[in-house]
Amino acid sequence: MKLWVTLDGRSAEVDFSTERGLVVLDVEGRKLDADFVRLPDGEVYSLLVEGRSYEVRVSPGRDALDVTWQGRTIPVEVKHPLEKLLQQQQGAAGRGHGETIAAPMPGAVVAIRVKAGDVVQPGQSVLVLEAMKMQNELVSHAGGVVAEVFVAEKAAVSAGQKLVTLTPHEVAS
Amino acid sequence: MKRLQRVLVANRGEIAVRVIRTLRELERTSIAIFSEPDRMALHVLMADEAYPVGAGPSRESYLHMERVLETAKRVRADAIHPGYGFFAENAEFAPACADAGIAFLGPLPRTIAALGDKLAARDAAVRAGVPVIPGSPGPVGSLAEAKSVAASIGWPLMLKAAAGGGGKGMRVVRNEAELDAAWELTRGESRAAFGDDRVFVERFIERPRHVEAQILADSTGRVAFLGERECSVQRRHQKLLEETPCAAFDAATRAAFGAAACRVAREVGYLSAGTVEFILDEKGRFYFLEVNTRLQVEHPVTEMVTGLDLVAEQVAIAEGGPLSFGDEPPAPRGWAMEARIIAEDPAHNFMPSVGRIERVRFPQGPGVRNDSGIYRGYEISLFYDSLLAKLVSWGNDREQARRRLLRALAEFVLEGPKHNVAFHRWLCAHPEFVRGNLSTRFLEDHFKPEMLGAGEEAREVALLAAALHAHDERQRVAVGRREDATPGASAWKWTGRARSGR
Repeated sequence: MKLWVTLDGRSAEVDFSTERGLVVLDVEGRKLDADFVRLPDGEVYSLLVEGRSYEVRVSPGRDALDVTWQGRTIPVEVKHPLEKLLQQQQGAAGRGHGETIAAPMPGAVVAIRVKAGDVVQPGQSVLVLEAMKMQNELVSHAGGVVAEVFVAEKAAVSAGQKLVTLTPHEVAS
Repeated sequence: MKRLQRVLVANRGEIAVRVIRTLRELERTSIAIFSEPDRMALHVLMADEAYPVGAGPSRESYLHMERVLETAKRVRADAIHPGYGFFAENAEFAPACADAGIAFLGPLPRTIAALGDKLAARDAAVRAGVPVIPGSPGPVGSLAEAKSVAASIGWPLMLKAAAGGGGKGMRVVRNEAELDAAWELTRGESRAAFGDDRVFVERFIERPRHVEAQILADSTGRVAFLGERECSVQRRHQKLLEETPCAAFDAATRAAFGAAACRVAREVGYLSAGTVEFILDEKGRFYFLEVNTRLQVEHPVTEMVTGLDLVAEQVAIAEGGPLSFGDEPPAPRGWAMEARIIAEDPAHNFMPSVGRIERVRFPQGPGVRNDSGIYRGYEISLFYDSLLAKLVSWGNDREQARRRLLRALAEFVLEGPKHNVAFHRWLCAHPEFVRGNLSTRFLEDHFKPEMLGAGEEAREVALLAAALHAHDERQRVAVGRREDATPGASAWKWTGRARSGR
């Protein structure tokens, strides 16, 4: 499994694999043994990287995960490659004429979080698509008002299939 | 005098907690007071008794003199400890305690009143033969007079508006040519800003150090000097880190300094614990500044090196007893440092921060003391001081104390409001701090907010932790568990909820 991690505008691909029960991360060609355990103390984790010990808090921030280590908080954006693809698609679609959220890959709709007429904030999730055995939250980047939902839960969808359309907020109000 | 069995602590936060600790050790009854938002504060939980005194704003509770005194009388308090701030240096409170037949754990009322007037305090120092910053004895009438004063005190000097204060109405002048231009300018500005064009001339000390003397005086007239504290690391007159002894002192300077502080104390008939503040110029000469007639925030560093309990001494003094050590104060041993852990954000202009303490784990281990008034779940309110904790380290020498403080700061887990732990780590590791090259301009000279930015290691840790977190969360989300999901929740919140539901 691969994830795209963005920190301070710099992105890195992190590939996960398992060797002898340990998680091995491949970060830009470096292979790192890691152990990540949640402490009984909230959103706090013990992270062992190649034996080095760190205690970190990971909490949901606005558009990213906020990682706090030694009193400093660093926002980190983590995306599945599908979400990255989707973001690029949407970026290309442009803003202002409303937003179309399409399936980035073939998969099954497992949850629909909005209905027509709902006001959606930028970054808000509208639908969960299961693809490649992964649950993916599909979010609206521009926000707006839901114009139409084209699919039902449990529906199988193909890549590029239109799922939800939104109209810009100003127009609707 | 009778034993002061029931002691009311007219304060809150870490200092109330600190005083209550000593009262318990002395087997006295500790009585807390609290405002409405402080019902769950640590000092209330720790005291033997606790009584409400009003609403959140200090004026309606901790600073409501009538109500505090009425409470003290009603609950039959024998004595009041004021802590610092609030009523500690209030010239009306101590006499009001006396009128109510309650002992005030501090100096005599007349001493508080006399030393509260900065000019009167300066006069007392002059009478005691203690150096004050060289300058004109009063306002200077003309440019010619200013020049003659300059000739006697030397350059650079400072023109200070008589009506100014807090850094306003001051101008640094480096030579006679500058003085010609600055004279009318300063007077004009002063007239415009304060409606008063009287100007003083004073020697300007470029990079002063702030050094203060801890004194204790009992009712038999004994005055003891318990060593100095250096509090040079400040931001806008707010002390951030204090230590004892002062790295710039040699034995001869210390002896002269201690003798000067004791002379000031004797001159004003001082009683109880107090602090005589001085500034130290670049050549190591000290000048009297003022007397703080209270237990200082930074008193723990003195306790660490002397082994004394200053609150216990205050109680003994108020009971008419002698100082615990007799005539000769204990020789200070080793070095101590205190970092003030404050709810403020050094990366954003030290903006105060409020909120709930989400998680806290205090440093422990050899040579560490932590005085604090917070606990997990406690809400930091806007009403009061933003001091969360005072982290104190002790070592055989300055370097061991410094490394211990740095180590303790690394152990300090504190989540919720923004705080300055990372700032203190920067400070303790700074080469000039390590060398002991301090001045009240230390932050202006050396600190930039971006220095607190994340280093390479922090970025790597953040990257890996976020990736592992996202990986874990995605693997845990099970199909068919999302009907309880609410639109609008972020994926992270949602997956967290799904997981906690099993």
